[in-house]
Amino acid sequence: MYAKLRIHRFVEGRKWKQDYTVEVKTGMTILEALIAIKEQQDPTLSFTSSCRSSICGACAVRVNGNAVLACETLVSDQLATYDTNVLTIEPLGNFEVIRDLVVNWDPKFDRMKKIDPAVEPKDEFSPEEGCRQSPEDFEKYKKYALCILCGSCVSECNKNSLNQKDFLDPFAFVKGEKIVSDSRDKSPKEHLRRIVDAGLWACFNCEECTAKCPKGLDPAGAIEKLKAETFKYGLADNVGAKHAKAIYDDIQESGTLDESKLNIKSEGFLKAGTRAPMGIRLMATGKLDPMASHPVNPEIATIKKIVQIAEQASKEG
Amino acid sequence: MKFALFPGCVLDGAAAEARTSLLKVCGRLGIELEEIKNWTCCGASHAQGVNDLAALAINARNISIAEHMGLDIMTVCNTCTLQLRTAKYRLDHDAKLKEKVNGILQEAGHPYAYKGTSKITHFLWVLDEHPELLEGNILPEGLNGARVACYYGCHILRPEEVMDHGSDRYPEYFERLVRRLGGQPVWFDANRLCCGFHAQFGAEDDVMKRTGQIVKSAGKARAELIATPCPLCQMQLDMYEPEGRDAIGDTTQMPILHLQQLVGLAMGMSKADIGFDRHVSGKLQLKLG
Repeated sequence: MYAKLRIHRFVEGRKWKQDYTVEVKTGMTILEALIAIKEQQDPTLSFTSSCRSSICGACAVRVNGNAVLACETLVSDQLATYDTNVLTIEPLGNFEVIRDLVVNWDPKFDRMKKIDPAVEPKDEFSPEEGCRQSPEDFEKYKKYALCILCGSCVSECNKNSLNQKDFLDPFAFVKGEKIVSDSRDKSPKEHLRRIVDAGLWACFNCEECTAKCPKGLDPAGAIEKLKAETFKYGLADNVGAKHAKAIYDDIQESGTLDESKLNIKSEGFLKAGTRAPMGIRLMATGKLDPMASHPVNPEIATIKKIVQIAEQASKEG
Repeated sequence: MKFALFPGCVLDGAAAEARTSLLKVCGRLGIELEEIKNWTCCGASHAQGVNDLAALAINARNISIAEHMGLDIMTVCNTCTLQLRTAKYRLDHDAKLKEKVNGILQEAGHPYAYKGTSKITHFLWVLDEHPELLEGNILPEGLNGARVACYYGCHILRPEEVMDHGSDRYPEYFERLVRRLGGQPVWFDANRLCCGFHAQFGAEDDVMKRTGQIVKSAGKARAELIATPCPLCQMQLDMYEPEGRDAIGDTTQMPILHLQQLVGLAMGMSKADIGFDRHVSGKLQLKLG
């Protein structure tokens, strides 16, 4: 069986798409196909790879618009997924491209510095005694320590594709959650403040990062954990947090969302007032009725209790 | 065929036409729906960012009521589907967590424990899995070859492990349904981009730009309308289409239909039947009905 790899080339400012035909051998990975092309057809093709074991994170590329680790992704599986014999191979999305499939990590590391991405040991620890941690506390962040910085999570990130200036790469939030939930760190609140300032609440919640992480780390879930931490640390004084809290409170106050008041609760009266033209538009189509009273769930006392007991249980761990 | 309906908040609010058209269409298709009694909001993909355990317990309660009814759950909202399925996935895969959550429900006086006996599906998946439902209920000409941009939205696709209905990277079931309805699905560049509804407050300018991009992309592909299985995507694209145009300097005007409205049109329902008068955008562009 033969497959066509349509590779996005970029060399010294010139962009083009180049087709290569490869014989698909049993068990052949995307990386092996790229190596075969480089060795047998075109030595000018550039890409990065190292371990070939899904550990180093160097070989992530986009196949038909979706990021994968080239070393663990079978060509035959991709052909089956897309029901095709042509695979388009591109460099990761939302990265600056250096050449062909090689992307520049330097700006990414610079961005990550916004959150001060290192554990600052508590004063009780010393070089002589080390940093002691219980197995239970280690469990809290262990998963996030498995990030291999492959960049797959940001490739299709919807927020980053629109605007990178007021947001971080999902792997930076994973790093952030690792630090904030690490009992050895002496300044989780300061870390969290930096994470909020770097755009925590601008996430689109599109789940692309979680779908793409080859290590199953659920970056979108890490973002949600960080958001919940901001309420614990008293750092939830922003419009995104207020909106989430308004929804949360509606559940325990009436059971369902009260759309007519959601804007006021999220943005405050003044800002919500500037939404009047939208309000008039929605009233004209019957989508908004400011006079309608919002119904209260007959079981609201039980619902409120569920929330309160769960909150208490969360505090107790 | 009978389901416990989890309508979600917007079907009682800004997207009421999604409820009325759903009930009409399901009535004709022979899908019986019994609403989950005293259901609450699923958390709208935000509640877990305030307190995860509370959001999980709330959805365990919702699901447990359907279990007591002895029915599988059907939703018509992507985000409700994701929130409910995520809760079920976590509870079914973590016995300790399930015990903890059931302890919370019991202590609060909720009469039923979460068992894990009800499946959670979406109206689009029901139609995909049961093409026989459409037999004899669709006009011979159906959608008359209308060019439809199938906009899935995110929360019906990802994470694939939780959603478990085909590929999240190359889904085809919506297009397959449109063909069965006599329409012509069109490929458009923005078909898998996120509408940004959930970041309206956190990243407003970006979201409006995205709304404009999606509508423009469908227009460029010569789609006559965009259809979506998610009322939140529908609201974002329909209600904010004018702002989307302004954000990217475009002029495309496009009707944005709920999935059930599209099915209704293929059955011969009128614009009034499907509640199109409640839409903001593409009022003059919808040729069907």
